[in-house]
Amino acid sequence: MNNQLLIRGLLLVAIALWFGVPALNYQVGTFSRAGPGLFPLLVSCIVGLIGVVMMVRGWVEKPEPITFKVRNIFILLASLVGFVVIAEHFRVIAAVVYLVFVSTLAGSDYSIRRNLLICAMLIAIAFAFRAFLGLNLNLI
Amino acid sequence: MDILHNLMFGFEHALTLQNLLYCAIGCVIGTLVGLLPGLGPLSTISLLLPLTYSIPTDGALIMLAGIYYGAQYGDSVSAITMKIPHASSIVACIDGYQMTLKGKTGLALFSAGISSFIGGTVAIVVLSTVAPALGEVALLFGPADYCALMLLGFCCVGFVTTSGYILNGLAMALVGVLLGSIGTDVTSGRHRYTLDLPFLSEGVGLISVALGCFALAEIAKNLDSRSQFTPFSGSIRLLPSWTEFKRIIPSALRGSAVGSFLGLLPGGGPVLAQFGAYALERRFSKYRHELGSGAIEGVAGQAAADEAAARTSFIPLMSIGIPENAVMALMLAAFIVKGIQPGPNMIGQHPDLFWGLVASMWIGSCLLLILNVPMVRYLLSVFRIPYSVLFPSILFFCCVGTFSINNNLDEIYITAVFGLFGYLFLRLGLEAAPLILGFILGPMLEENFRRALLLSHGSFSIFLTRPISATLVTVIAAFLAWQVIAYVRQGRVRAVT
Repeated sequence: MNNQLLIRGLLLVAIALWFGVPALNYQVGTFSRAGPGLFPLLVSCIVGLIGVVMMVRGWVEKPEPITFKVRNIFILLASLVGFVVIAEHFRVIAAVVYLVFVSTLAGSDYSIRRNLLICAMLIAIAFAFRAFLGLNLNLI
Repeated sequence: MDILHNLMFGFEHALTLQNLLYCAIGCVIGTLVGLLPGLGPLSTISLLLPLTYSIPTDGALIMLAGIYYGAQYGDSVSAITMKIPHASSIVACIDGYQMTLKGKTGLALFSAGISSFIGGTVAIVVLSTVAPALGEVALLFGPADYCALMLLGFCCVGFVTTSGYILNGLAMALVGVLLGSIGTDVTSGRHRYTLDLPFLSEGVGLISVALGCFALAEIAKNLDSRSQFTPFSGSIRLLPSWTEFKRIIPSALRGSAVGSFLGLLPGGGPVLAQFGAYALERRFSKYRHELGSGAIEGVAGQAAADEAAARTSFIPLMSIGIPENAVMALMLAAFIVKGIQPGPNMIGQHPDLFWGLVASMWIGSCLLLILNVPMVRYLLSVFRIPYSVLFPSILFFCCVGTFSINNNLDEIYITAVFGLFGYLFLRLGLEAAPLILGFILGPMLEENFRRALLLSHGSFSIFLTRPISATLVTVIAAFLAWQVIAYVRQGRVRAVT
């Protein structure tokens, strides 16, 4: 099922359902007195329609494969989530070190010395932000 | 002479030491991010937006605008020297890079610099004459007209993005509208799609969506492709001969005119303008037979159009209040953060801000010319920074930027979620730029839509009886019909071959 158009259509239909179905539970109202659900419902219908059109096209046309590489985006997301967890329970400095050392795993080359330099630079920038822009980071 | 008077008034505000400094910072940052692959004006403005909260209003807006038009020049430089295409410098890669291959890099860069300056100057004249006039027209706009204009923008922004299919862009803009409806409904006070999470009752943060969809997804894409650029190391001889110089001027003027006009249209801006300028050169230039093999006109026209369009695209934002592309949507957010509602009344209420911004754009043109043309070889040294240093730093700035909005670390989770979605969209061939436009315009669209229907007692005929909205709706219908016809024809060609 490696078909770009088909998956694109499926994704749009999924988004339309995700927003459209709950909209039915919010009061829809009439056109002259619209409730909170009316507008999202209308928009989801259009999005769903476009999604169906794309799915049909995906069926008919020659399939174009998609290239979804899990590794790099996963490393980036893991480094962000880890940053938040460490910064909340510990200190931002530790979180910066974690962010740099984990995210660079996605790069083409890995150098501990360079990573330490990046950490030092970013921590200095964080201190500067706190001093000059009044950013409320718990650094130390 | 009113305009001259107003512009002088603007220069008084823009020429304070503080505002000059912000203008210079904006131009330099803009040029640098324009040069580097994978860091466009969109991600940079969303990164810096939260950091401008503590800066005075006019300084912040002058700086953000500087990033936008500065990036157009940087785009051209990296396209000419290294054939790195950015969204707005696809055309510069053709003739600009051909000139580099022939050893005429300096001439190409000089043409781009001078033409950018000419484009910027022409656009300032257009901006200071058209914007106030359009502001008066915009006073006639009713809710239905605003709705139609926003929908036209959604259709056009999809057309301009690389895929060229209106449906893709329209779908993404509408997904953005849906995302914008998360939070508390203004009219009824009802919570929508908040998943019972308290921090979602205010809606999803713009910065989270923008950074996730642009910065994160873009980094992942660059890491996937692992493309390495060899830094430019050729010699640069800047000053042209008199005959070469004479060839720059006419095409720069043509480019400025077409760029100024295309920058005004919904969905317009530099991305569209460069193609318009190139097409014009191919039709009217005296040297059109040289185009494609390194003609000065191929560089000059598009550079002028880029700069002109980057400035005139501020007109719909400031005089109607409706941004026409994703960068302008972010600028709208910057205005609103500072407590200013762009629209017909803005020029009257904040003349110092409006004219100051206009004047600063011309000062920015001068700065770009003075700073960048002689110093371009030093700027090119940013390519010595390896991407492995750059991307962890961008990630860190994403975290700090998201955090600084509400001093809340949890919002970084939302950025991460949108990073995943942004990457998925990217891999599915859906562009995220229309999504941001829809996200920011969504609440405005809903409000105007409901108001229009309230006025007409629920009848959709209001969109067809008002002259402005009827015209706009006709244009939308023509656009969609044309797409369908083009698609069917294409299918027939496919069936035959």
